[in-house]
Amino acid sequence: MQADDLAGLATDERFRLLKARFRRLALTIVGAFLGWYFLYIALSAFARDFMALPAIGNVNVALLLGVLQFVSTFALAWRYTRYARRMLDPLSAELRDEAGQRQAERERERRILAERHRIENWTRR
Amino acid sequence: MTIGLFAVFIVITLGVTIWARVNTKGTDDFYAGGRAFSGAQNGLALAGDYMSAASFLGIAGIIALSGYDGFLYSIGFLVAWLLTLLLVELMRNAGRFTMADVLSYRVGRRPTVRTAAAVSTVTVSVFYLVAQMVGAGALVSLLLGIHPGETYMGISPEAAKVITILVVGMMMIFYVSYGGMKGTTWVQIIKAVLLMAGTLALTVLVLSRFGFNLSEMLGAADARSGRPGEFLNPGQRYAKDADGIVGKLDFVSLAVALVLGTAGLPHIVGRFFTVPDARAARTSVNWAIGLVGAFYLMTLALGFGAAALVGQQAITAQDPSGNTAALQLARAVGESVAGPVGGEILLAFIGAVAFATILAVVSGLVLASSTSLAHDFFGHVLMFGKPKESQEVAVARFSAFVIGVFAVFLAVLVRDMNVAFLVALAFAMAASANLPAIVLSLFWRRFNSTGVVCGVYGGLLGSIVLVALSPVLSGGPRSLLPPPVDFHVFPLENPGLVSIPFAFLCAVVGTLLSREKADPGRYSELSVRALTGAGAHGQSTKNVGGAR
Repeated sequence: MQADDLAGLATDERFRLLKARFRRLALTIVGAFLGWYFLYIALSAFARDFMALPAIGNVNVALLLGVLQFVSTFALAWRYTRYARRMLDPLSAELRDEAGQRQAERERERRILAERHRIENWTRR
Repeated sequence: MTIGLFAVFIVITLGVTIWARVNTKGTDDFYAGGRAFSGAQNGLALAGDYMSAASFLGIAGIIALSGYDGFLYSIGFLVAWLLTLLLVELMRNAGRFTMADVLSYRVGRRPTVRTAAAVSTVTVSVFYLVAQMVGAGALVSLLLGIHPGETYMGISPEAAKVITILVVGMMMIFYVSYGGMKGTTWVQIIKAVLLMAGTLALTVLVLSRFGFNLSEMLGAADARSGRPGEFLNPGQRYAKDADGIVGKLDFVSLAVALVLGTAGLPHIVGRFFTVPDARAARTSVNWAIGLVGAFYLMTLALGFGAAALVGQQAITAQDPSGNTAALQLARAVGESVAGPVGGEILLAFIGAVAFATILAVVSGLVLASSTSLAHDFFGHVLMFGKPKESQEVAVARFSAFVIGVFAVFLAVLVRDMNVAFLVALAFAMAASANLPAIVLSLFWRRFNSTGVVCGVYGGLLGSIVLVALSPVLSGGPRSLLPPPVDFHVFPLENPGLVSIPFAFLCAVVGTLLSREKADPGRYSELSVRALTGAGAHGQSTKNVGGAR
């Protein structure tokens, strides 16, 4: 893959869109899970009485929130994957194919040039 | 009988390893298993690499003894995978075999950066390795039921420990140097299936004792815990109210390292490259999240089940740190289902699973560090990026041997210490040395060689020095060095809270102070490649551009 082909794509509108979408998604997810995780850690460290309250039977708030951490992890992973499939994958596939085509074209040009060169050398002789 | 079942595991995995050897030809095969694993296969292997004996026996034990606080480990270990999910596709697209491929892609002084990455990879792996191997040594004497001062078939507990460490070491060296990534991946897959099956069986049996009523099980655990009414509340083990604010900060520090460390663990990162493309990499992390999540939910049942059915006294009588809780639970529920024979069978099965777990995890670690030594240090630093493939693979096989022997030596040396803190330290080092460098390489335009090097070494040294100056080593109630020695100045046992921000700071300051200009073209190239996968190392296209 030619370096300038890739760097050239960097200024492409579609790539900018892809990048913006990814960053927004990544920041949302990181913010959501880190915020929620550290809230939970802080509650465990500093709000012991609240965490000890009974929720369902012998299950207290601490255990319930802990299991909710599992649920939220599964949900966020699912959310990310769905969004990536719909909004990121088509764009990145398009750009990737284009980069591949450009490379193929360049390769063809190079071969034609080499061939022409060879013929010129041959006719000159 | 445990030994018999374990022998079956060994025979099967040896067969797979020999098959893998026949099918391993070049670096793509040795380092990345030919990039031919499916998302699901690699997901199982990721879970296999990740779920160590520390999490299987250790967490079940902590929950059994300290109730709710053990669960916090599980949560940190799982939530961390979301960060991995966000980074995995970018890393898969940008890199070839190792983290260093990503870090060195866009910077000027590549050999220096590669060396730093290799140093960090090997250090983190060796710390983690030693912890696992010492754990294996302790486990075997417990499994054979040898108490200090007694012998078992003429073997003293000390000798049993050393023999176990040697056997585990020999096996892991063989798996890695002979089977490479293909062999190791199949070992992980087999182990993950065994571990999930064993845990599931045990969980179902335990829950059935309580009519599948969680609340009832918790009540029973609470009643037998020795401090009813408190057992299920936070603060039984970590950040006890008596420890004040320092204890609480220490606890937060541990949580930070757990959640940020996973995405920088060398044996996890190395596994990103074993699939054909970024989509498969994403699928494999999703599989891993499902498996790891299910596993840790089940350890909850194991831990509280052990507290309820075995009881705290019986557990601490066998092992004060609770590592045998899951095994004792296996015997107890086995007995209740099928009498003493049933108990022995289930105990043997779970014991064999625990050994398989240790063996698979240490193999993954040895593979990751030998890959880094051969590919990054030998291939790109010593041979200027132009080694012969056959030469590089030979070096990788040899490095596996060297690192394996070194780890065995260290493990034998420290076999009697309580090295549980090494696992937490390995996570803290991965979070400090590797994660900042990875994130800034991918997202910060101005980042340069000096920044990477400062970030990696700053994070690595920062976390090691902080632990050396903490109560872990001296001056605390559970310190490794005896009481009169006291040179601790850093109050926290877990360095993450300080060392991770410190590493980011080093990386940023190093970048800004250096006169080296970042190459904006290379950065654009990296971001296009990372996000679209154009030019990524794939299954069919060999050596297209990239990691030079």
